[in-house]
Amino acid sequence: MSFQFLQILWFILIAVIILGWATMDGFDYGVGSLLAFIAKDDREKRIVINSIGPVWDGNQVWLILGGGAIFAAFPQVYASVFSGFYLAMMLVVWLIIFRAVSFEFRSRVEDESWKKRWEIVITVTGLGIGLLLGVALANLLRGIPLNKEHVDFESLFGLLNIFAIAGGLVSLSMFLMHGSAYLVMKTEGELQKRARNYGTKFAYAYIIFTIIFLLISPIFAPRLLNNSLGILGDILPAIMLIGAIGVILAMKSNSDTRPFMFSVLSIVGTIASAAVGLFPDIVPSTIKSSYSLTPFNSSSNELTLVVMLIATLIGLPLVILYSIYAYKKFGLKVKLDEDSY
Amino acid sequence: MDALILARIQFGLTAFFHFLYPPLTIGLGALLVITEGIYVYSKNEDYLKITRFFVKIFAINFVVGVATGIVLEFQFGTNWAQYSAFVGTIFGSPLAIEGLFAFFMESIFVGVMLFGWNRLSPKAHWVSTILTAFGSALSGVWIIVANSWMQTPAGYKIVNGKPIMTNFLHVVFNPYFPAEFTHTIMGAWEYGAFFMAGVASWFLIKNNKDMVMRKALKVAIIAGIFISVVQIILGDVSAKEVVKYQPTKLAMMEAQWHTQKDAPEVLFTIPDEAQQKNYFAVKVPYLLSMLATGNPYSKVMGLDGAIKYIAHKDHITNLKPSMFPVDAVYTTFHIMMYIGFYLAGIMLIAIILYWKDRLYDNKFFLKVLWYSTFLPLLALEMGWCTTEIGRQPFTVYGLLETQNSVSKNVTVPDLIISITMFVTIYLILLSFALFLFKRELKGRLEGKDETNTKPKEA
Ligand code: HDD
Ligand code: HEM
Ligand code: HEM
Repeated sequence: MSFQFLQILWFILIAVIILGWATMDGFDYGVGSLLAFIAKDDREKRIVINSIGPVWDGNQVWLILGGGAIFAAFPQVYASVFSGFYLAMMLVVWLIIFRAVSFEFRSRVEDESWKKRWEIVITVTGLGIGLLLGVALANLLRGIPLNKEHVDFESLFGLLNIFAIAGGLVSLSMFLMHGSAYLVMKTEGELQKRARNYGTKFAYAYIIFTIIFLLISPIFAPRLLNNSLGILGDILPAIMLIGAIGVILAMKSNSDTRPFMFSVLSIVGTIASAAVGLFPDIVPSTIKSSYSLTPFNSSSNELTLVVMLIATLIGLPLVILYSIYAYKKFGLKVKLDEDSY
Repeated sequence: MDALILARIQFGLTAFFHFLYPPLTIGLGALLVITEGIYVYSKNEDYLKITRFFVKIFAINFVVGVATGIVLEFQFGTNWAQYSAFVGTIFGSPLAIEGLFAFFMESIFVGVMLFGWNRLSPKAHWVSTILTAFGSALSGVWIIVANSWMQTPAGYKIVNGKPIMTNFLHVVFNPYFPAEFTHTIMGAWEYGAFFMAGVASWFLIKNNKDMVMRKALKVAIIAGIFISVVQIILGDVSAKEVVKYQPTKLAMMEAQWHTQKDAPEVLFTIPDEAQQKNYFAVKVPYLLSMLATGNPYSKVMGLDGAIKYIAHKDHITNLKPSMFPVDAVYTTFHIMMYIGFYLAGIMLIAIILYWKDRLYDNKFFLKVLWYSTFLPLLALEMGWCTTEIGRQPFTVYGLLETQNSVSKNVTVPDLIISITMFVTIYLILLSFALFLFKRELKGRLEGKDETNTKPKEA
């Protein structure tokens, strides 16, 4: 295996890990965002929360793995992006902190207003993180002002441009669609009907925002027009749209699982489009293209990449095994018992 | 205040808060494996009740640990960008491997353990408890690989001014790793034992006929007596490693300003960094030389000698005594050490009382146990402060200085905003966690049952 091949492979693997996070933790955030709207009474709220109750923490590890893998494989990217996005990163972290404790804390006290408050936390953190993922990805696609030493001195407000907000709306509607599709799979009756309804609406929203995003990207991120895969790369955004149309159609059918499958497809399309759009850069510099970070100038040495590859080949199958076990044990439809949140 | 100081304060603070929680996950997790195991094999319902009660507290603690841990994972990049770019090729891999092998195991099985009581046979449930506890200890392994590498870097060579990995196994088994890992895990178990003992004592003070908590106390002190004695021995092992690899840290831990023979152990003092002197020093002659090398007449390097030694060995010549936070390191180290001896003493008394059958109705001693519940946690934090502040002025000992580690683009206002937010958020979390902890104690006292249901029979 040549060094260059390893560097490209790690670029792909990181995209896969981010995809793992967006599909697995994505529905946690989507379900959380929906909580305040979709559930009418305490029992329904508990069903919604417990649809992710036993699994959200495991899903969140994809994010941690993503952080660790970027650190190990592309340390300069980890350093430049995280310090460059300082306050934005802090915002994400604060949202994650509150989200992480909210389910447990809510269930511990039998008190209306106590529960109400934590439900708001669950919804707000879900919406916030859903929005910020797209803001971050759009900013990367647009490029950030990395200087010669790969340091970015831009302020927080530099991150809030129209393009980034459009990107944020794409990811937010994507997570909401995904969360609805997940709830269709996990619930029954009235609640499920409402989930189908919301899912359809968010799929439409996702389609509209995606089209807007694609239409304005030549202005903000011209790199998307001549991506490295050529025509193949141009097809990827189509997968986003096909997935979403699939969600809309599947919501009309009476299948419980098909909407979720299609929703996963559109997430695959989204992350793949972003990854292909970025390549061969990881972080394009808006100051000078030679200041950009690429898999080739920011990676660890060969030995580290090999060690990490071996670790991944052993570790990832284990993760999949545990996940299958856990999801099987809790069955398809949520059943509440005394141990549930 | 410059950005460097603030970045250091922020890291110390967030690490400190994170480490309030994982030790209980690791320590109580290990004890729950024991109590649930006893239940599975003896079918004695009392042990199931113990397990189910402590699992409720475990769950509260766990989520706060997770919430505070995520911050740290990102903070290397946000606050220490130069550090991350410099050592990431080596330091990043244990963090990624920790996620892949430890956190996934821990976080997936903790869900099964918390919510699976009615869905699994007792044995299968016990297995998920074991995997949760094992996963949490494993996350300790990898984070300490990363930390011990910063203390005693190994398995690398310098290319273009940066270290790159040459041997992964040497990185993992760097010289300080075994001592640091065993001492930290044992500390977490010690906390687990004292936590179970303290909580059980609280219930026994209210009602000493509580047969369930009597059993919990028994398990906790039997585990505790072994752990607390071994922990002192492991502390001594750690100290000997410091003598070997980090002479400046030893000088700070012991407030030894000058190299001397027949060095005394300074039991108590107020070190004065400006004057490089110790006030009100209470000393035991020859003891430090004895502990450091096994020979009471041997020479022990003071701060002045250690600085010269580093200048010679690592060619770092800009070090001045004023760069070394002797005060903090001396104080935190001695607090840990004294707590260590105190805890072992307490466990010894507990075992003797148990032996004489006078433990469960000795209200005074039960109170002592209850008040000691969180002392191991204090020792753990003080130990980390010794390790981390004692590493100053380096981030990677002998290789990278702290002033060259900080992010260049993070400003003072950025840091003030984030520190203020972290302090606020963490105090809220801590007070909620304590509030819910107390509620669980009161709830059980008021007759809320630990076992709503039994696990399904296989
Ligand atoms: C319950 C917790 C606990 C207790 C009772 C003790 N320690 Fe400790 N100590 C720790 C928990 C800890 C720790 C938090 O786990 C540290 C931080 C990093 C490490 O390796 O372990 C530590 C570090 C640490 C270090 C290393 C400093 C460094 O690496 O730079 C030394 C020399 C000692 N300890 C020595 C002792 C001695 C002589 C004790 C005697 C009674 C003792 N510890 C009790
Ligand atoms: C959980 C227990 C820990 C505590 C309480 C703790 C505490 C601290 C403190 C107080 C500082 C500031 C030192 C100073 O500037 O004077 C610090 C710095 C630092 N620690 Fe830790 N630490 C812990 C664990 C770790 C671990 C496990 C790692 C690595 C994996 C680590 C990496 C660092 C780094 C990179 C810095 C910043 C650079 C420096 O100031 O030297 N810490 N820590
Ligand atoms: C400063 C370096 C550290 C970093 C970057 C870090 C990172 C993290 C992260 C990201 C989590 C959340 C994992 C999840 O979602 O399941 C976490 C939790 C945890 N960490 Fe840390 N950690 C650090 C220090 C430590 C130390 C020193 C230990 C133990 C010796 C430790 C043990 C644990 C454990 C057992 C958990 C599980 C949750 C809990 O117990 O509360 N961590 N840590």
